[in-house]
Amino acid sequence: MNLDLRAINQCVRCGSCRTFCPVFEESGWESANTRGRIMILKALTCGLQPDSQVLDSLNTCTTCGICTENCPAGVNPPEMIESARRQLVSLGKMTRQQADLSRNILASGNTFAESSDRLSWLTDRSLLTKKADYVYFVGCMNSYRYTETAANTFALLHRFGATILPKELCCGSPLLRTGFDARRFVDENCRQIAETGARTVITGCAGCYTTLKKSYPQDFRVQSVPEFLALHISQLDIAQLDLTVTYHDPCHLGRHNQIYEQPRRVIEAICRLKEMKTSGKAARCCGGGGGVRAGYKDLSLQMARKRLEDVPDGVDYIVASCPLCIRNLRDAGAGEKVIDLVDLVAMAVR
Amino acid sequence: MTRLTEIVMMNILQELKEIVGDRVSASPGEMCCYAGDASQVVGLPDFVVRPESTGQVSRILRLCSEHLIPAVARGAGTGLAGGCSPVRGGIVLDMSGMNRILEIDIENQQAIVEPGVIAEKLNSALKPYGFFFPPDPGSLAMCTIGGMISYNSSGMRSVKYGTVRNYVLDLEVVLADGRVIHTGKKVLKSSAGYDLTRLFVGSEGTLGIITRAGLKIAPMPRTRKLVLACFDEAENAGRTVIRIFSSGITPSACEILDRTTLQVLKLCDPMPAIPEDGDVILFEVDGTESSTSEAVRQISEICQPTAKSVRIADGPEMDGIWAARRLVGAAISRLDPMKTRIYMGEDVGVPIKEIPALIKKVQQIAAKLDIPAMKYGHIGDGNLHVALFIDVMNKEQWEKLLLAADKIHRAAMELGGTVSSEHGIGLARAEYLPEQVGTEAFSVMQSIKKALDPKGILNPGKMGL
Ligand SMILES: Cc1cc2nc3c(=O)[nH]c(=O)nc-3n(C[C@H](O)[C@H](O)[C@H](O)COP(=O)(O)OP(=O)(O)OC[C@H]3O[C@@H](n4cnc5c(N)ncnc54)[C@H](O)[C@@H]3O)c2cc1C
Ligand code: SF4
Ligand code: SF4
Repeated sequence: MNLDLRAINQCVRCGSCRTFCPVFEESGWESANTRGRIMILKALTCGLQPDSQVLDSLNTCTTCGICTENCPAGVNPPEMIESARRQLVSLGKMTRQQADLSRNILASGNTFAESSDRLSWLTDRSLLTKKADYVYFVGCMNSYRYTETAANTFALLHRFGATILPKELCCGSPLLRTGFDARRFVDENCRQIAETGARTVITGCAGCYTTLKKSYPQDFRVQSVPEFLALHISQLDIAQLDLTVTYHDPCHLGRHNQIYEQPRRVIEAICRLKEMKTSGKAARCCGGGGGVRAGYKDLSLQMARKRLEDVPDGVDYIVASCPLCIRNLRDAGAGEKVIDLVDLVAMAVR
Repeated sequence: MTRLTEIVMMNILQELKEIVGDRVSASPGEMCCYAGDASQVVGLPDFVVRPESTGQVSRILRLCSEHLIPAVARGAGTGLAGGCSPVRGGIVLDMSGMNRILEIDIENQQAIVEPGVIAEKLNSALKPYGFFFPPDPGSLAMCTIGGMISYNSSGMRSVKYGTVRNYVLDLEVVLADGRVIHTGKKVLKSSAGYDLTRLFVGSEGTLGIITRAGLKIAPMPRTRKLVLACFDEAENAGRTVIRIFSSGITPSACEILDRTTLQVLKLCDPMPAIPEDGDVILFEVDGTESSTSEAVRQISEICQPTAKSVRIADGPEMDGIWAARRLVGAAISRLDPMKTRIYMGEDVGVPIKEIPALIKKVQQIAAKLDIPAMKYGHIGDGNLHVALFIDVMNKEQWEKLLLAADKIHRAAMELGGTVSSEHGIGLARAEYLPEQVGTEAFSVMQSIKKALDPKGILNPGKMGL
């Protein structure tokens, strides 16, 4: 395999990442740890056959980026791992779960293989304008699973002139994270965005955000809902709520895009914020990203349960700004206590 | 010992499964992950097991003994000498899963732990009691107590508190044939027979596998303060250190950071506050408020005449400096992403008086071979870490590196020092051991090895044994 040997060699195998990698914490096997994954990448360049154990090692990385944040040598492991996944897929080496996931997404245009209308939650279609300043990119999770959050988000963004793509497709994130090509989705979404004339695309999903920002042509600005809300909160008629909440930093908003302060500003405009045991750059991953939830559900939920141990006492809600994190934390036992930032704002808007 | 045949392999895998259930692997990818540590010493194991109890370790070693299979203990694999690298194949016993803190006994100033406990986790558990386990390697956050004991590790505070050896009171060890012994008692001192505890400390997994350790712990000092003294030349800095020690002051840490190290630190995130430009010595003192203030005053006074600048730091600033210092050795590629730090010739030590001479020699070696060398380390106990960094894809640079490392090792021995102050011998430095200790002393080591591991199954090849 033709991997970036320079990047691989930058790792001095110091093992610092053993302390950080959330997957390793659950597994204990060196191959489930950042350093082990890098050693496997090196071995792949020397002829190691990509058997199922090798695929598991590389595919269990949630791409949380906490290793990148803490690596003394400045290595960026998730980038290397994603690149290896792409090469393996191009060689036809993938797990059954990977193959199923891509087949379903490519056939249906969404991560759930749903054939129903993506906009079923939208009661008044007349709100969709052909031209707009902003596009609200809903994403698969909120389109099909958290439709109330989608409705709350659109209700807020519409006030500022946002529309929705008439035939939005999956942003491509699950494909890209697991090594597949998502060009068809990128092109189609881009075409529709261009038709609206919007210069800014806003999304409430951290996965969509990273993908729109890093894997799409830079023809438009990408904003996350927390960024947008932080800028416009003073224009909303907000009531103070007698609540204490904590905030979970989604890896793809925080470490991948440095959006730490904006969601906190929004929360603090509404109620009290009590930080989790690890937060900001050091926030523990919910375990759901990088295709891990789809491919290794038990492992993913184990990590989510660890994350819930970080929740401080005496909070009414755990607020997050990513439906993937919300689903994982809910499924790990926190249930309806986990809400989207937008749902908190919706509670406070008079 | 020969490589195992396929049929024997299958039988052994089956037996290992019976002992540890699914905590065994023979998959090629996993074997690659256990090929070595942070050194350049590698070898592929045939199996990796992750035992959970002394009983399991004992059964595994009996199996190894019966079939003459090499057994290599491994902690976190952060070692720098290839101690845990299975250079002759066999079974790697990953001990990091035996990670329970079994007892914290403040009245007796002891903690009893399994070998896989991470040093920093032990310190977090001791903190509420106002106690700590003093040896503090830079790898504190990731290395295991078992690995530390087996290398007699030490760290920045060893200049005052000593090395791991000073803190081990009792070990539970599984011998090569599967027998289990205790080397000590739960007492702070004992004068009963050969000191087996000390024999196993630093034995690098060549004499037995540690499954439990009784450790002495110490009360945490109330205050710590740091003096940062900056010098024009590293040699000058070395001479000042000697003056400080001769005046009767014992700092709790005494570290040198040369110019290159400072450049690297400035590229770390978060960047510690060391605006100095030169060769810096960090003197830390601990104790009560008044004793530390007095020591800081004395150290500053002694540094003043020769230093470019002297200043004092404490609190979060000091913590930030130490945090960055701990991992600086691994951070060198921040200076030049085309280059990687190779841990070779990195741990020499000399009598403190010879430190200026050692620094000079290292500088000459690096200059002559035109190879960049960053110098940092525990100068207070004569331990200089030399970080050589090269483009690992360049063959010529590799050759220079090997030559430089060899010359550095020999320079330390010529100055009456050691090829390793704390990182151990492993395979990386095995060739120097007979020369350093002398052939007669080395033959005593061979006899000890033969007595305890007659079949030579425990970490074969390490320390030249
Ligand atoms: C960035 C960095 C900084 C470092 N700083 C320091 C420092 O300041 N001071 C210092 O002393 N070292 C330092 N080291 C080296 C290393 O971290 C230490 O030697 C550490 O103690 C090794 O612990 P480990 O758990 O990783 O052991 P491993 O590397 O896994 O093993 C070390 C040796 O111990 C043996 N072993 C492990 N467990 C057992 C057991 N249960 N029974 C018998 N034998 C066993 C192994 O066979 C091997 O020979 C540093 C390393 C790095 C990467
Ligand atoms: S922390 Fe960085 S350099 Fe160290 S082993 Fe992990 S990836 Fe490699
Ligand atoms: S990105 Fe996260 S899960 Fe992946 S190797 Fe790094 S720390 Fe582990």
